[in-house]
Amino acid sequence: MTDVSLVHLGRAFGDKWAVKDLNLEIASGEMVALLGPSGCGKTTTLRMITGLARPTTGDVLFGGSSVVEVPTERRGAVLIFQQHLLFPTMTVAQNVGFGLKMAGMGKGEINQRVEEMLERVELSGFGTRKAHELSGGQQQRVALARGLVTHPKVLLLDEPLANLDANLRITMRHLIRSIQRDLGITAIFVTHDQEEAVMLADRIALMFDGTLQQVGQPDEFYRHPRTASIASFFRSQNFLPGTRRGNVVSTGAGDLVVGHNVADTGDGPVVVTARPETLMLSNRPGGENCLAATVTSAIYMGTHTQVFVQLADTTWTVHAPPSVTLETGDQVLVELPKEHIWILEDDSEA
Amino acid sequence: MTLERRRTPLKERLKIPLMLTPALAVILLLFLGGLVAGLMQSLGYFPAAGLTEFTFRHYVDAVTDRNFLISLWTTFRIAFSVTLLSTVLAVGAALVLRQRFSGSRLATFLFQIPLPVPHLVAASAVILLFSQSGLLSRIAAALGLINAPGEFPAILYDKASIGVMLSFMWKEIPFIGLVVLAILQSVGPQYEELAQTLGATKRQRLVHVLLPLIMPGVVSTWIIVFAFTFANFEIPLLLGQSFPTTLPVQAFREFQRPELTSRPTGMAIAIVLAVITVLLLIAYRRLARYSRST
Amino acid sequence: MTSTPTPELAPGPAQAVSERLLPERRQINWLRWATVTIIVVSVVLPGVSLLLRSFAFRWHYPDVVPGEWGLDAWAYTIDDTSRVFESLGNSLRIALLTTTLALLVGMPAARALGQHQFRGKRVVEWILMMPIIVPALVAAMGIHIVFIRLGLTATVLGVSLVHLIPATPYFVLVMSSVFANYSPALEETARTLGANKIRVFRYVTLPAISSGLLVACLFTFLISWSQYVTTVLIGSGILITLPMVLFPFLGQGNAAVAASITLIFVAPAVMVLILTSRSLGRGSTVMGGFGKV
Repeated sequence: MTDVSLVHLGRAFGDKWAVKDLNLEIASGEMVALLGPSGCGKTTTLRMITGLARPTTGDVLFGGSSVVEVPTERRGAVLIFQQHLLFPTMTVAQNVGFGLKMAGMGKGEINQRVEEMLERVELSGFGTRKAHELSGGQQQRVALARGLVTHPKVLLLDEPLANLDANLRITMRHLIRSIQRDLGITAIFVTHDQEEAVMLADRIALMFDGTLQQVGQPDEFYRHPRTASIASFFRSQNFLPGTRRGNVVSTGAGDLVVGHNVADTGDGPVVVTARPETLMLSNRPGGENCLAATVTSAIYMGTHTQVFVQLADTTWTVHAPPSVTLETGDQVLVELPKEHIWILEDDSEA
Repeated sequence: MTLERRRTPLKERLKIPLMLTPALAVILLLFLGGLVAGLMQSLGYFPAAGLTEFTFRHYVDAVTDRNFLISLWTTFRIAFSVTLLSTVLAVGAALVLRQRFSGSRLATFLFQIPLPVPHLVAASAVILLFSQSGLLSRIAAALGLINAPGEFPAILYDKASIGVMLSFMWKEIPFIGLVVLAILQSVGPQYEELAQTLGATKRQRLVHVLLPLIMPGVVSTWIIVFAFTFANFEIPLLLGQSFPTTLPVQAFREFQRPELTSRPTGMAIAIVLAVITVLLLIAYRRLARYSRST
Repeated sequence: MTSTPTPELAPGPAQAVSERLLPERRQINWLRWATVTIIVVSVVLPGVSLLLRSFAFRWHYPDVVPGEWGLDAWAYTIDDTSRVFESLGNSLRIALLTTTLALLVGMPAARALGQHQFRGKRVVEWILMMPIIVPALVAAMGIHIVFIRLGLTATVLGVSLVHLIPATPYFVLVMSSVFANYSPALEETARTLGANKIRVFRYVTLPAISSGLLVACLFTFLISWSQYVTTVLIGSGILITLPMVLFPFLGQGNAAVAASITLIFVAPAVMVLILTSRSLGRGSTVMGGFGKV
């Protein structure tokens, strides 16, 4: 049982900071996703936790004590690579037993623990095969078993599912999650896929450009993103700039009254957002938060109709009931219920 | 109902064989043809010298000559020592040169220099450096280590063939080293990093991860270098003892004698030389297949 | 991108308190130092000693540097009596012809082996790679009598044909690994865009393989250039190449002349090195090919 703390962690390559002043607490047995677009510094963070990269600033603590001076091989932080990297010269069993052999464990015990671990990842009987005889998913499971058989303090996964096809990804996701829970192991995984992070992680730490943007439970990123960039990373499409004064935001399409549960952004320029399924197409002129809009297209999606509307000079997506039929150019009113409106810091460059 | 299959045009079917024909013709006619012609001569069929009767006499003559076994041993000893020493030093050099440090680029560039240089040039340089009046002897004298040329160790034309081995190694270490370096670079650092997170120490990573990964390539170059050293003619002729000499030198000497009748004996030695390398090649293939299957 | 960490952008309330900078680990690595020194000495020293020797007029023992300098050795080397120019011409002719022949016979085979799967491929590879292991000298000795009958001994063509035995396998080896790394999909795209076969080769294939082809040709040239015993055999002592002029000087001959001829003999290798050092250096596929023989 090990909790992990990253304190003012940073790594510079020359003048450029790949990771800058990163602070994160990961509880024992927790699974945290380091999420962000490629090149945002998440892999560098992972490498600093394993000791493969040396931090330029700050500290890494396992169970409260610093491990920065502990070499990788004695740190007990296992890294599962994106390319499963099974040793091509070894059998599956030899691959899984590698860490135990390095620790000087006896042959009998190695065999027993390897067998148990292979069973755990549903690969009993594959021990004598060579790595190249396995499918991609099987290879990934061997890589997972190889990492977990040594009972590491921390499990680190670098884009573990990126090389697998959609179906395999789902089974692997379940497998990783159930083993991690059963062993109660602290785990950190890196991904650029927000869906994967949402489905797999207890908490998500989102990084842009080497800097931590927001840390929280998955649903917070959908319901209460901090900035417009974060919201759009989570596939939000509805953004309307405006100026906030108290609980009223003036926008190009009219004034909006917001609820009391929104972020404390203070008065000034903000961005208003709301998820498509919370919006309603209304025909009550003068109702609260009803804004005039023009339909640009409507697509029947089976369970709902996806309507794109022009709101001021932005395009919004609205999920309307499937029975709704609209034509391009139709004038509609979009109702934004005030309890579903969320206000973002305006962090756009322009 | 059966569907009529469209026939592949002749041109398409002959494409690959036609592409292979010129190169195969060169090797089959010149190389294998030469070997077969040599085999015939060694078996006593040599009409140019008036010999038309098949016999194993020339093999018996060649093999029972007491010089033959001594030459065989000398050849094997040189080839084996050169290959072993070169491989060990080359792998070591490659492991150092793949790291990036100040001076590594220059060292890697210099390391490549011997590769395209002819062996004869290597021999020429070894003579200038290592002869008893050579540059190293002079430097030793200048440092007060020796007083006269005769005190410098005689490593040219010597019994142990050190001069011969030095010339070979100057060429072969970079050859093996650059192959290993190319393999190490294509493998990348990730396997070692992975092993490190699994608890492998520096020494364990070398023994259990790196060496197994480069082994197939090392064995390939090992065979090439051994075969090359085994069959080289000019270096032992130039820098080795005149007796005992190596098999290629002995074969060529017999072959070049003015009397044509000694040619079959020279040819027999040459064929033995070729058979040894073929056996080596087959042994290697077996070894490679064995190591792949386990 | 700013070059220093800007604390006001960084999250976390106590960023100024404990932002300690960790020193990078630095240690003197004796193994590196020794390796680099040995490489530098073993490459530079031979070159220096060859240059010193070729320009030395008097060089008494135990002087480390010649007492008197002179151009006598070079004067003899470029004189007709040394036959250096004659042999240089022959060496060039033979090496160029060998390279051309290897190119003609080797290219199609390299392409077939690099890009196509077919029955008997392993056997073909086996046959083509055999001369790398089995000495060409034995084949040259066997074929000598045939060449005499065909009038090929002591001719440039005859010697080139024998040089082709060791040269072809290396050419095919290098070029097939070049072709294996080159995708024919590009050519197919060009064909669908209306380019004929000649144009496809000229504008698509050739630019993609040109650097590998250059390396293969230069190495083939050098294999021929370096041949000694096969040339002696098929040249019948009449057709003289550069190594044959050099050889007697290396035994008991004038060491200064030996040094100057050696320098001429090594010149193409140095030029090749300069031309190919990039493709032979880090991350090269050309050298990797030898690991798969």
